[in-house]
Amino acid sequence: MQELLANIKSDARFEQCSVSASISEDGIVTLEGSADSWRHVVDIGHLAASFPGVVNVVNHLSAEGVRIEKSDNTQRIREARKRGVIASADVVIVGAGISGCGIARELSKYDMRVIVVERNADVSEEATKANNGDIHPGHKAKPGTLKAKLNVRGNELYDKWQEELGFELVRCGQVNVAYSEEDMRGLEKIYHDGIANDVPGVRMLTKEELLKMEPEVPGDPMGGLVAPTMGVVEPFQVCVALAENAAENGVEFMLSTELLDIQVMEDGRFQAVTEKGILDAAYIIDCAGIHADEVAQMVNDEFYTLHARRGGIAIFDKRVTGPYHHAMSAMPRKKDAESKGGGYARTPEGNILVGPSAVEIPDKEDKSMEESDFDYAYDRGKSIYPELDRRDVIAMYAGIRPADYKEDFIIQMSGKVHGFIHVAGIQSPGLASAPAIAEMVEGILKEDMEASGRTVSVREDYKPKRRPQVQFRRLSHEEQDALIRENPKYGHIICRCEQITEGEILDVLHSPVVPTTVDAIKRRTRAGMGRCQGGFCQPRVVEILARELDKDWTQINLKGRGAYILERRSR
Amino acid sequence: MNGKEQLDREITCIVCPTSCRIQITGTMDEPEITGYTCKRGLEHARNELYCPMRMLTSTVKILGAKFRVMPVISTKEVPKDKMKDCLEEIYRIQVTAPVQEGDIIIRDICHTGADIVAARSMKEAQ
Amino acid sequence: MKTIQVDLAVIGGGPAGLAAVAEAKRQGIGRVVLIERDLELGGILQQCVHDGFGLHRFQKRMSGGQYAEAFIRDVEATDACIQDNTMVLEITPDKKIYAVNETEGMLLYECRAIILAMGCRERTRNQVFIYGSRTSGVLTAGAVQRYINMEGYLPGRKAVILGSGDIGLIMARRMTLEGMEVEGVYEVMSSPGGLTRNIVQCLEDYDIPLHLSTTVVKAHGRERLTGVTVAKVDENRRPIPGTERYIDCDLLVLAVGLIPENELSRGAGIEIDPRTQGPVIDQNFMTSIDGIFAAGNVVAVFDLVDYVSETGEIAARGAARYLKEQKEGNKEGHSAHTYKNVTAGEGVNFVIPQKVAAGELTQDMAFYLRVKKPDERVVLSCRMGDETLAKKKERFVAPPEMLVSRVQAGCCVDNDLTVEVRKEVPHER
Repeated sequence: MQELLANIKSDARFEQCSVSASISEDGIVTLEGSADSWRHVVDIGHLAASFPGVVNVVNHLSAEGVRIEKSDNTQRIREARKRGVIASADVVIVGAGISGCGIARELSKYDMRVIVVERNADVSEEATKANNGDIHPGHKAKPGTLKAKLNVRGNELYDKWQEELGFELVRCGQVNVAYSEEDMRGLEKIYHDGIANDVPGVRMLTKEELLKMEPEVPGDPMGGLVAPTMGVVEPFQVCVALAENAAENGVEFMLSTELLDIQVMEDGRFQAVTEKGILDAAYIIDCAGIHADEVAQMVNDEFYTLHARRGGIAIFDKRVTGPYHHAMSAMPRKKDAESKGGGYARTPEGNILVGPSAVEIPDKEDKSMEESDFDYAYDRGKSIYPELDRRDVIAMYAGIRPADYKEDFIIQMSGKVHGFIHVAGIQSPGLASAPAIAEMVEGILKEDMEASGRTVSVREDYKPKRRPQVQFRRLSHEEQDALIRENPKYGHIICRCEQITEGEILDVLHSPVVPTTVDAIKRRTRAGMGRCQGGFCQPRVVEILARELDKDWTQINLKGRGAYILERRSR
Repeated sequence: MNGKEQLDREITCIVCPTSCRIQITGTMDEPEITGYTCKRGLEHARNELYCPMRMLTSTVKILGAKFRVMPVISTKEVPKDKMKDCLEEIYRIQVTAPVQEGDIIIRDICHTGADIVAARSMKEAQ
Repeated sequence: MKTIQVDLAVIGGGPAGLAAVAEAKRQGIGRVVLIERDLELGGILQQCVHDGFGLHRFQKRMSGGQYAEAFIRDVEATDACIQDNTMVLEITPDKKIYAVNETEGMLLYECRAIILAMGCRERTRNQVFIYGSRTSGVLTAGAVQRYINMEGYLPGRKAVILGSGDIGLIMARRMTLEGMEVEGVYEVMSSPGGLTRNIVQCLEDYDIPLHLSTTVVKAHGRERLTGVTVAKVDENRRPIPGTERYIDCDLLVLAVGLIPENELSRGAGIEIDPRTQGPVIDQNFMTSIDGIFAAGNVVAVFDLVDYVSETGEIAARGAARYLKEQKEGNKEGHSAHTYKNVTAGEGVNFVIPQKVAAGELTQDMAFYLRVKKPDERVVLSCRMGDETLAKKKERFVAPPEMLVSRVQAGCCVDNDLTVEVRKEVPHER
């Protein structure tokens, strides 16, 4: 510990910082004190985590000038408790992002009651929806980490998920381009990591091979690296598909339901106090994304701290198709934080996507896209596709990566509180790893249940296939004609940019996880996701939502509570 | 305002795209108007000073149509200082579909001599 | 799939499409269909409750609905087929149109001629790079207009408007009259984007400040908008650090420009002018594909509906002539003519049409153009080499007001044309 502190003290960057540190028997470093900037809070955390023998870091450092508002939930908890126990479950999953929904769907095949609680009005609302949709091959993960293992396994499992759940998955492969000796060395390292991680098909490319594969690569490249198993998905589509299939198999989703507290009862069961009342549970799986550490603190199991790393993404008009078949990336000019540097890809729907950026921020809720995020993302695109024009940008957004200081996934049964399962630090490649994360958690839970004498068997009525979805825009005119004859509502186009019909919107309104907001409709159908960004269809979607949910227009929100669209009637 | 009070106003002329800035000083009884560059500009300034007039457009609540409100327009300009009263009356009105464009919704609104008419037809909703 | 043969299909029942259909019938075109995606005709005019329409054409101050209704009556009096509630999905280069509606399913129109009249769409916050969070309470002016004027809902309490084009100004007044507070109108350019009449009657009448050379740089809030940051901009329209100001508001209204809606045109392979974002057209408003014409805001953004209607009529006459020549077995379209280019010369931002068929003009021809900057005492002229085909003095010009230069019938076009706006020189008086 003294060595760590000496290291911090001797580092000129941290001159203005006052830090004390302690280490527990199980290798958890706790940092206390203050730093002169948030950047340094994070740097010191990383420095501590890199020390030999350190298992993880609890970082309580404060930063000068940074006040992180902590809301006092005492009153809300008291009120929630008054509502008493409203349901009893085998498993309560906290958080309906890609991890929570993936696990829920995996567990839905067993004979057990699973409830997912989510504070947002819809699934996939946080890091999942703001993800770039890369199904990484796994060659960029550090060998030996849990990340590396789950990434490669997750990538492999995606085909099965795709087949069962029916979302779009394009195995485009990824090509990295090198322009200098240094770039080449960088790619060689990634290549060797890829080999170490057992990534299928990863190989170095000569200049000739590279240009044969992607003839439009600009400038004078020296060579490249290809990873053929790279895929792209629309991440929210995967998450919704998982949630819907889980719900079809009996998992209950409590949306707009914030978890306020957890109490460990004497019999070892949990009382999860939500704003809607108490959920009694044998197991709790913490998939709360950027707030996972706070949920773990509710059961006094604090052995890691999450720091928020914002990533900004820009999406271009479908009209701009770009010259590439692969997801592309030139080696980043400068290393930006812990990011993989982002890059250029085409989404399954055909939009060019660039980014994400990577910026450490103190406020876990700050999903504000800054100019610097855009500039970074745009530059990642321009470096490989110089003709890219910012005037073709149709959407920009930022998401928060939930990173711990080891920069690895934390997936384990709590060592302190039996029955509490940590699924934390699921940043990139969390989406790619999701099937493997679900598999791993399923294993942990099953093993524990069986150890306590419970038999865990697959239900006979388990349906792994999600009901098929109509996508009008992808059909031939003949098929479209036939479809409208079956149901006239498919003949009414609501979103002109993406050609989304009223029939498709009504379909999702009758799905197992009912969307109640304009954004939720957008994620499920793509209405409002095109170049006019809902300028045309938003009033029409509001009208349909109000009609189908039997609400007034003023009660229809863009996203969660507070995000109302219309304030009042004018007459 | 009495006729003797000192004026100090500037208005933008909207007679043509030149958009002259016209200054009005002096008193209501004896205004001094400068800055205009044509006769129509001077006339416009006088109108703006003594009796500014505006077209009135708004919507009224409608029942039984596809939409909740229906656009209306005045048949001629109304005095600017009566706009508020006129709007209040318009906001109180409620009509029922069907309505034909040109149907009189309010006759001689606030004694301005202008009628408020439907600015479009609205069918009954199916 | 139902297949229907028509002589002319007009896509879009807004002002351009309505005028085109009425004129097409006057010209005697046989089977005409008007395809409209909405339940009713009129397009965006139906959400424009303000007056100021039809000043040129009807010498009256009409509201949008009244202007539309005048044309709708004309169209309904003809035997043209009005196919409302029908969305066109695709146009092919050989003039087939695929369209859908609820009752008939997919319709295939085999057309001898087509007039594109799809209008335009609004630019969004992302196209003007407003950073910050994605909350509710950020709407385009057109969406606000629809909510207030057609649906009868108010989308906020206190609004900031970005963009001083006419739509922004009109909405400032509308929201004020509906009891909302309008904090101000912000304009990134150093001169207003809208007509003076609207600055006076929409802003000055209600003491709404207009802030020039200022833009919204950031939106704040988590769920609903809670405020925006505005900043002054330099001559390159870049925000000047240190000039930021935070404004409390729950609605940001974007009136930041319109883009001609040409996804269908692009799909058909029609040549698009990168400057106007609309099809390249000739003096009959025919696009690069024989028999496919375009009219109104799909060609370039006009600000006066009277011009939009006029272009609908020009396109309809062009289509009538094209169909007649075809019927008589004559060559028509691109193979029958050589084309001369029309260039935007000094002081001119863009001009349409972009090309003219060589030869004697059989009828008067209008050039529509926008100047680059406000100016006084200028001469607007259309030149062919040293020859001046048309000349007109303008006392005052500004980018928000579209200018028209008319070349008379009888002129012989045998060279490229340049349309320009120059400072008046004293001896020309």
